This record gives sequence, structure tokens and C-alpha cells, in this order.
Amino acid sequence: MSVVQLESVTKRFGHFTAVSEATFSLNKGEILSLLGPSGCGKTTTLRMIAGFEEPSEGDVLIASVSMRNKRPYERNVGLLFQDYALFPHLSVNQNVAYGLKRRNYDRSQIDHRVGEMLDLVKLDGFEQRRPSQLSGGQQQRVALARALATNPEVVLLDEPLSALDAKLRQELRIELKQILSTVGASTIIVTHDQEEAMSLGDRLVVMSEGRIVQQGPPTEVYKNPQTKFVAEFIGRSNWLRGVLGPADRNNLCTFEVAEGLTLLVPKPEFDAPTYEVCIRPERIRAGNAASADGATIVNQLNGTVQNVAHLGADIHIVMELASGHRFTISEQFIGQPMDQYQGSLECTFFPSDCIVVAADS
Amino acid sequence: MLQRYIDHFGAWAVVGTILLTVTFLIAPIIVSILMSFDARSYLGRFPPTEFSFHWYARFFSDSYYLTGLKTSLIIAVIAASVSTCAGVCAAIVLDRYDFPGKQALETIFLSPLVIPAVVIGFSLLLFFALIGVFQGYPRLLAGHIIITFPYAVRTTLAGLTGIRRNLTEAAMTLGANERQAFWDVTFPLARTGMVAGAVFAFAFSMDDVAVSLFLTSPQTYTLPVAMVSMMRTNFDLTIAAASVILMLFTIGLIIILDVIVGLERVIGGGVYRS
Repeated sequence: MSVVQLESVTKRFGHFTAVSEATFSLNKGEILSLLGPSGCGKTTTLRMIAGFEEPSEGDVLIASVSMRNKRPYERNVGLLFQDYALFPHLSVNQNVAYGLKRRNYDRSQIDHRVGEMLDLVKLDGFEQRRPSQLSGGQQQRVALARALATNPEVVLLDEPLSALDAKLRQELRIELKQILSTVGASTIIVTHDQEEAMSLGDRLVVMSEGRIVQQGPPTEVYKNPQTKFVAEFIGRSNWLRGVLGPADRNNLCTFEVAEGLTLLVPKPEFDAPTYEVCIRPERIRAGNAASADGATIVNQLNGTVQNVAHLGADIHIVMELASGHRFTISEQFIGQPMDQYQGSLECTFFPSDCIVVAADS
Repeated sequence: MLQRYIDHFGAWAVVGTILLTVTFLIAPIIVSILMSFDARSYLGRFPPTEFSFHWYARFFSDSYYLTGLKTSLIIAVIAASVSTCAGVCAAIVLDRYDFPGKQALETIFLSPLVIPAVVIGFSLLLFFALIGVFQGYPRLLAGHIIITFPYAVRTTLAGLTGIRRNLTEAAMTLGANERQAFWDVTFPLARTGMVAGAVFAFAFSMDDVAVSLFLTSPQTYTLPVAMVSMMRTNFDLTIAAASVILMLFTIGLIIILDVIVGLERVIGGGVYRS
């Protein structure tokens, strides 16, 4: 059952179209990540669900009821603001209780629920503190407790972790996911951070320039990006532009990039005037280990190593092909000697590791 | 080494400047306070040799001063109340809404701050003569509301701009309508500015001479105007006593407000803006 449904929602500000015909739905208990670069319309979409903006066209449905002309307080939506927006003049207790008070819960219910919520976010003992006396992570948990207290039909998180430093962010990501699944909250997370989107979301909705460009489970979106934008935005990638040849009986096509540089790629399921191929750095193997097994078809490239960066668990190798193209390869560091990544290098990858997309004209 | 001496010298220069400024601000007031307690019955040299309250006794037995004090208090209370209410409304409109001509409106609201008080006083005098109002009270009240209004707008606006708008939005997603969100969130947070505005308005009204001078009538005059005219006719230290009393009213008001609404905490700022 879908909790939130957007039906070709469009939002214009004057002549500027912030969101264009956005259609997606959020299922009960699901966490959906709305992902896109800044200015792609994701925050406007969130604000329309919360009721701060009215769609110019289309409709937002919450629990199958149209939200047209419904003010934010006439909806049951929990919102976690990017900067938390805790009431600075109220204590932690009063902050969490505010929504319950405004929704006319009686006193004993409020006390019970506040205790329950602070327990959930592990902040018991902090009841009487003011927000200014809490750390950033604690403030965020208060804000989350406040948003969840009224049992909202949908919880909206606006860039929930962006205000925190990298290490805390990782910890809180896990904690956040745990809290949300404990409560079973149907959640929409708005973020520009692909790691955050992929690790928290059961499903991704990728937006670009006001439009939804792809939606699906994170792994699916990562594996089969449908446009160059999605492939580039989610994960790192190497790009080659070339001419697609006819398919053979294994459903593989030749893809001629330049003289002496022809790849085998899977046959795309769409037609486009020109194609581009994307290969993820971690799918490329340095050395020709894969071709040792004669039965498999592999793409083989030769080049010279330009730069090697050892980043701890990963090694990033930049190599230049004879054609002048640059390739980034990401190898796992498992104690191998680093001097093998020197001078001329051979690298291999399977045709199935090649993602064919329509080229931007 | 030389650099360190220069830094050292710089630090002392800053301390020196601050001390000098403080002295410059405080010294004249201390002189007039001390002189108001002078036991001599003539205007003697500073410092007084003996102290007494006889200038104060004289002040409180002089009906001319007392009438002025009464008028000043009435005008100040009414003017401060009116301009605080109006100023708060104006500030809320300026802060929360966008409309064409907003900038111009703000400039007009704040214009009494830059227009010389003498000009305001004189213009009002002409204006009231034109519409046929010659009584002191309405004229003084109008003048005082005009000069205190910008302070109320200014301080409230300063308080409001510190409040992030998403606090109101947070209240609304939690079930508060616009009115409730205002009273639950905006008002308590902006109270700082509103109270400060009221205090400023009262203080400026009590203190004003330039505008009042034009708008007094023979029966209705404020204490500062009374002091100025006494200074011209018979200059004695009753004026010093009057100054101290004038100061006491403003300081007293601040202390009372501090006790009632915790002005210290309020003006302490920061606390409310996480």
C-alpha cells in the first residue's frame, strides 16, 4: 500500500520550473532516497509533501487522500530539518512534547510518549537540557524524536547527516536506519550524498533538473544506470564514446572507440543516435588474470601507468591508453607488491561490466 | 623582539583607549550626580564639601518641575506603549512577508532616526497649526511616538531576523497553525527585541528635548523642557537633581524589567539562538 503518492507533480516559481511531472510513490514502512545534485528540485518536492509549497500541477496524496489546499498542520508528516530547527527556548522534553501537545494528546499520554521517544534515540537523562547544551549528533536525535513522536504517516528527512562530520556521519547513518526500522516509519530521505542515499534507502529516486531520471533499488540503479547523468552521479566511472556495431549470436556488439580500440559490449535495449560506454573502476582488473580462463570473452586494454594512489583499502591507478584515453582502475589492496603497477600495464574487464547509455547530444 | 614590543604597545593602546572612553562617558554623569547632593546653597566648585538632599527637596516642592515630570511620565508611557505595539506589527510585516515597496516602507519607518529631531519638531508644529491642534498633549504624544517608533521597529526586527524561519515551519509540521506557531515560537524568541524596544522607546521619550521644545504649550511641557527653560531663567543645582531623577526612572525601569522578564538573560542573547 502506498503511503505517499506523487502524481505528475509540477512546481513553477515564476518562469522557473523547479519540479517537472514528478511521479513516484512511497510504500508503507519503506525508506526512499530522493537523490540529486543541489538545485535538482528534491527539496522543493519535499516541501510540497510537507505542505509548505503547493504543486502548480498534479497532486500529492498521503494515505490516498489528496493534499490539495491542506496546510502543513492538517497533514500528519514528520519533518527532520537539515539544521534540526529545534526550539531553542524549550528543553529537550518540551521540544519532543510540542507536537503531541499541539495534536491534543492528554498529559499522561504525552509524558509516556516523550519518555518512549527519548528512550528510542538514547537520550534519557537529557530531558531538561536546552538544545544549545547538546552536541550536533544529540541535537539531531532530539529532532528525530520530535518528528517521530506524533506517529506521522510519513517521515521526511532533509539532508539528515550533512551537518555532521564524516566519522559521526557513518555512526549515525547506522543508528538512523535502526531507529527508522524499529518504528517502521515510512520515510523519504532527501540527499545529494550517494553513499547516504544508497546505504539508507530501500529504493532510490534520482532527480536531475527537476525531473525524475531513474528509480529503483540502489544496487539496480548502480548496476544499470539508464542515463549518463545517473551513471556519473552515482559512483565513479570511465567513459568511452564510439560507434556501435551489429550484435552477434551472444547478444554482444562491437563498440569501436578509436583505431585499435574496440570493445565487446552487451546489446543495448534501446535505440539512440550515438552511444557511450561506462566502465566502473572497480570492475577493471589490472593484469590479465581474467583472460587466463580461455573460455570467457574479455576486453583487453593496454596503456601506461600515469599515477598510483594508495588510499588504504583501495588502490587507484590512472593509466593512459594508446589512444590517449584515460582510465581509472580501482584495485583492492590485499598486500600485493605495488611495483607491479608501473610502466606499461594490461587491464581486462568483461563485456557485462560495460554499461551502454545514450550519449548526450 | 621588536615585533613583540609593538604588539605590547598595541595592547596597551587598546586598553588605554577603552579606559579613556569609559572615563569620558562616565565622568560628567558622576560630576552631576555628586553636585546634586551638594549641601551649599549656591553653585560652588566641584567637588562638594558637604552633602545634603536639599536640591531634591527643592525639586519636589517646585510645582513647575513636578508638572514637567508628570507630563513626561504620562507621555513616555503612552508613547512607548503605542510605538512598541505599532513597531512590533511593522517589524513582523517587514520580516515575514515579501511585497513590492518593502524596502521603501522600511526606510520610511526608520527615517525618524536620520531626520534631525529639530526638523521633525518644527514640521509637526506647522502641521498641527495647519489642522488646528494647539493643545500640548496630542502634539507631544504624536511627536514622541514618531521619534520612538523606529527604535521599536529596529530592535524587534533585530530580534526577528535572528529567528530562523524553519522554526515556524517545524512548529507547523508538528500541528501548530500560523497563529499558534507565532505565539509558541516567534513571540517568545522575539520578546528580547520587543522588550528592548520598549525600554529604548521609554528612555528616548523621557529624554527628548529637541522635538518637545516645539510642541509644548504653556501648560503642557516635559521635564527636560522644564530643565532647559529653568537653566535659562534661574540656573541652580535643582537641575542636577532633576537629571538624576530623570536617570533614575530609566534605570529603574530596566531593573524592574530585569526582575520581571529576565532582561539580563534576554539581552544576553546567544542563549536563544542555539
